[in-house]
Amino acid sequence: MVSVAEFTTFFQIVVEGVGLGALYALVAMGFALIYKVTGVLNFAQGEIALVGAYLVVLFGTGAAVEQLQVSAPVAVAATVVVGVLLGVLLERVVFRPFIGEPVLSVIIVTLALGGIFSGFVNFLFGRNFQQYPDALVLEWNVELPLGASIPGSYAIAVLLSLVIVAALMLFFRYTVTGSILRAAASDEQAAMVLGVSIERTIAVAWALSITITTVGGVLLAVRGRGPSFSIAATGIIILAAVVFGGLDSIPGAFIGAIVVGLLRELGSYYLEGGTAVVAPVVDVTLDFGAGFGEILPLIFLLVVIVVKPYGLFGTERIERL
Amino acid sequence: MPCGEYFTSYESRMGLFRWRIQRVALVAGLPVPFVLPFLVGGGVVSTISQIYIFAVAVLGLNVILGYAGEIVLAQGAFMAIGAYATSRLVAAGAGLLPAVAVGGLLAAAVAVAFGLPSFRVKGFYIAISTLALQFISEWFFSNGQAAWIHGGARQQFPTEVGLVGPAGVVGTDLDVYYLGLVVMLLFAMLSLNLSRTGVGRTFRAVHENDLAAAVLGVDVFKNKLLAFAIGGFMIGVSGGLYGFYLGSLDPGYFDLALTLEHYVMLLFGGLGRVWGALIGVGVVTFVQDSLRIFLDGVSTATGTNATALVSVFFGAIIIVVLAVEPKGVLAALGQLKDYLRNWPYAY
Repeated sequence: MVSVAEFTTFFQIVVEGVGLGALYALVAMGFALIYKVTGVLNFAQGEIALVGAYLVVLFGTGAAVEQLQVSAPVAVAATVVVGVLLGVLLERVVFRPFIGEPVLSVIIVTLALGGIFSGFVNFLFGRNFQQYPDALVLEWNVELPLGASIPGSYAIAVLLSLVIVAALMLFFRYTVTGSILRAAASDEQAAMVLGVSIERTIAVAWALSITITTVGGVLLAVRGRGPSFSIAATGIIILAAVVFGGLDSIPGAFIGAIVVGLLRELGSYYLEGGTAVVAPVVDVTLDFGAGFGEILPLIFLLVVIVVKPYGLFGTERIERL
Repeated sequence: MPCGEYFTSYESRMGLFRWRIQRVALVAGLPVPFVLPFLVGGGVVSTISQIYIFAVAVLGLNVILGYAGEIVLAQGAFMAIGAYATSRLVAAGAGLLPAVAVGGLLAAAVAVAFGLPSFRVKGFYIAISTLALQFISEWFFSNGQAAWIHGGARQQFPTEVGLVGPAGVVGTDLDVYYLGLVVMLLFAMLSLNLSRTGVGRTFRAVHENDLAAAVLGVDVFKNKLLAFAIGGFMIGVSGGLYGFYLGSLDPGYFDLALTLEHYVMLLFGGLGRVWGALIGVGVVTFVQDSLRIFLDGVSTATGTNATALVSVFFGAIIIVVLAVEPKGVLAALGQLKDYLRNWPYAY
């Protein structure tokens, strides 16, 4: 029988998993958005989130460059502005020459970009944990029903993430720019005929994608009271989310991210370390060793690729000679 | 005496060394790597040994990516499998060569297993699943719970190992150099011959247009798996040799950066060309070494963490190479040759 205490723990972990998934959702949606509009698989998402997380350290604490230090809200605002600029810059300088190049070139370019970003962050801040300014670290907890509670920074991060996700959905559904983005994604040629500037659309898509990814990185860091280098690993975890959601579907990316966040939290509580559960029939402790929580989404990813490669809402590709 | 050289038979047309100048170059050039260790210093010999060993891995990648066109982002994982298997078998007293061969077979088996989804999906799905394999392997080899399989995250090779069982002991830097050279020549010959026989042509057909190849009666799935097996074997062998070259194993040696490094080597030299792969490995390794030494100097001089910038420079180099000449330096040399042949006229 499941006792009340066990159920409370389970509920707590589920809440944390959904919360983590909501944070992953931002990075995952950044990926899905850019894949949908431009067909680029951005393997540097994790590193872009990392850059976003450390930009707040750069502006908020003056850790690397003393003169840049500003107050915490200004630092966050500056990070968002840099995110927009970075998106436009990446599109103009890096990705525009690769339009129409084979998929291999683009994949390698994004991997190389990941190396560039993580190298810069490593150069400026090292690989260790950096504390965020005090205004971004909240000490109170949010009490939930059934005895669960989550830290304040976490709750704020999750709420903000959900607000941004909802805003994005509304943006795509009801604004002109959103419709243009959807039009360009579904048929580039037809959109061009109808007078849509594809160049500007792609620039908008990149700016939007990089911005929400940097914001996702900042929120992931707020959850842990400051960034550490492990945020870069988000890049591979969100691949599981977007493949499960169907690669080119933005709601799919959101749902996938929630599932992956849940898997990660459940995996790291029930399948590793001292809290590992005992398998019911064979009586073996299911302890797969430290860090299994991050591996479980990857195993899930492999299963999805074998069983349902086009995911929940992905477009199936039909090929003809 | 004919004015020029002509191919008078199919055999001479398809030969590896077709022109007189190539045969001269072979006779003059082949002894060079064998006498090289006596002409240069010990540090350079060690670097060149690493070039030979990496060349095997990059040739393996070339079979999968250059010939069969599957994007596999798990170089580090395959090399780690080869290295840990080799280490365990060497410790059990099997000798280096059988251990390396088994390591290669294990890597090939894993490569084939990860090629199985190519039955349904293609292109970047394989890239994503092998990238996942890369991260799983880093976790697996540093995981103490799985030590009964891989034998511990950190392992030491004995300084002296018999080639087969206890016979033919190797251990000095010079031994490693010649071992790497022979294995590299062997696999270079294998790759060259693969690309000009039916198997290689089938791989290329699958690469160019798999649907058309299937219509012409090629078993696409089988050939993709075959490419995974051959390439995986070579990468695994290279991993085993790399472990022995390093003398110790750590999961951190076989990370995503290694994968990226091998891609730089292959793309810089020219995808699908054996000579391109060899040139790429050589140039990139030397550039990387001097870059690292330079940045280490900057680090100590300025007191900053400038060594971390290696990946920044590297990333920038890849992007520039891909933007300027995606076919690699060998294609660029070919264009230069064409230009010089007609110089000073345009045609």
